Amino acid sequence: MSDEAAVLSIEGLVVRYGSRTVLDGVSFEVPRGSVFALLGRNGAGKSSLIRCALGQQRAAGGAARLFGRDAWASRAEAMARVGVVPEEPDAPTDMSARELLAFCGPLYPRWDDGAARSRLERSGVPADVPFGRLSKGQKGTVMLALALAPAPELLILDDPTLGLDAVARRALYDELIGDLADRGTTALVATHDLDGIEPIADRVAILHGARLVVNESLDALKGRYRRIRCGGSNGSFSWAPFSATSAADRDWGREAIVSDFTEERFEAFVARSGSSNVEVGALSLEEVFLCLAGGAEAQP
Amino acid sequence: MLRIDPRDALPIWRQIEEGVRRLVGAGGMRPGRPLPSVRDLARELRVNPMTVSKAYQRLTDAGVLVVKRGEGTFVADEPPQLTRAERGRALREGALRYVSLAVTLGISRAEAEREIGAAWDGATRSRGGQR
Repeated sequence: MSDEAAVLSIEGLVVRYGSRTVLDGVSFEVPRGSVFALLGRNGAGKSSLIRCALGQQRAAGGAARLFGRDAWASRAEAMARVGVVPEEPDAPTDMSARELLAFCGPLYPRWDDGAARSRLERSGVPADVPFGRLSKGQKGTVMLALALAPAPELLILDDPTLGLDAVARRALYDELIGDLADRGTTALVATHDLDGIEPIADRVAILHGARLVVNESLDALKGRYRRIRCGGSNGSFSWAPFSATSAADRDWGREAIVSDFTEERFEAFVARSGSSNVEVGALSLEEVFLCLAGGAEAQP
Repeated sequence: MLRIDPRDALPIWRQIEEGVRRLVGAGGMRPGRPLPSVRDLARELRVNPMTVSKAYQRLTDAGVLVVKRGEGTFVADEPPQLTRAERGRALREGALRYVSLAVTLGISRAEAEREIGAAWDGATRSRGGQR
């Protein structure tokens, strides 16, 4: 066991496809034991970043380090320590879940066949039906069971809930939470399911316009975003000491979203505004995401 | 019954911490009663187990919960009572949150007060019974 603080370090990563720059100097670290949510719109570069992290794709610049070693150069050794659920399930379509477990098991130094089997049983996945004939949710369960069976130090999920119904999505999060509780796994989850990941993630990174626009703890991120509504004040008005990320006049007054909320600033704002009708509300992760990545992409 | 709202401004670990304090303080969870394991509560609330663990740790440090090795986590035999000032502050914060919600929804004062009455009846009826 190694005990580096960061399981995965992304260092100035650059990815280009032809003349298009998808990632332009992206850096972050996935701390050991964290559940790291990687967010971004379609085409923001999440899957490219994951392929680089897994050593499956060579970056045009920068590096991805898995367990302290270059992912591209040391792909084979690192793979036994990483469990991956890819965006598109990529198991051979003619093999059943039972055959897949039997096939993959000998490839890993540690392999918990019993845990994988009970995981499949809990989710009601038939063991003898060819993979290609399973439902989308069942395929996801099989991929997760295969990813977790070697007791990986790092679990990478690339949009694991894409196309799943509510029941399958819940089952997947249940399995993930169970594994986090049992083993303290580190997880990197690229996802569009912001409501689903919000209660589970402890760190959030957002890719937008080929760059990382956020990389911080979810508590800190949610702590500094607020929607403030201020009823019917007239005359000169300013959101100071906040720097409002978006502000609008409504027929009942004014509304803004601020990204630098603190209780002290709020008290100063209320004192300055002189309005007796000020409301403040939290933003969900989805609303924060829309603030940061909802606009047109800034071209690097 | 512990409820959390991931969209609330309060971090989830604080919601769990305050929720347990409230249940213990109101007699909804009696001294000596076992708490669900971190794993079970995380799955039930569908949150990160580290979050539950952090809340349990803080509650243990504060003497609200005790950990018996090999057995699990329990409500302490004599959990510390909230001071009068703490209770007052918690109540005012809760009232402010509720009133903000009611105003945002355009609810009348009379209707908001009726809802409090109904919730009070519901909460005090269910207390003590099995949930």
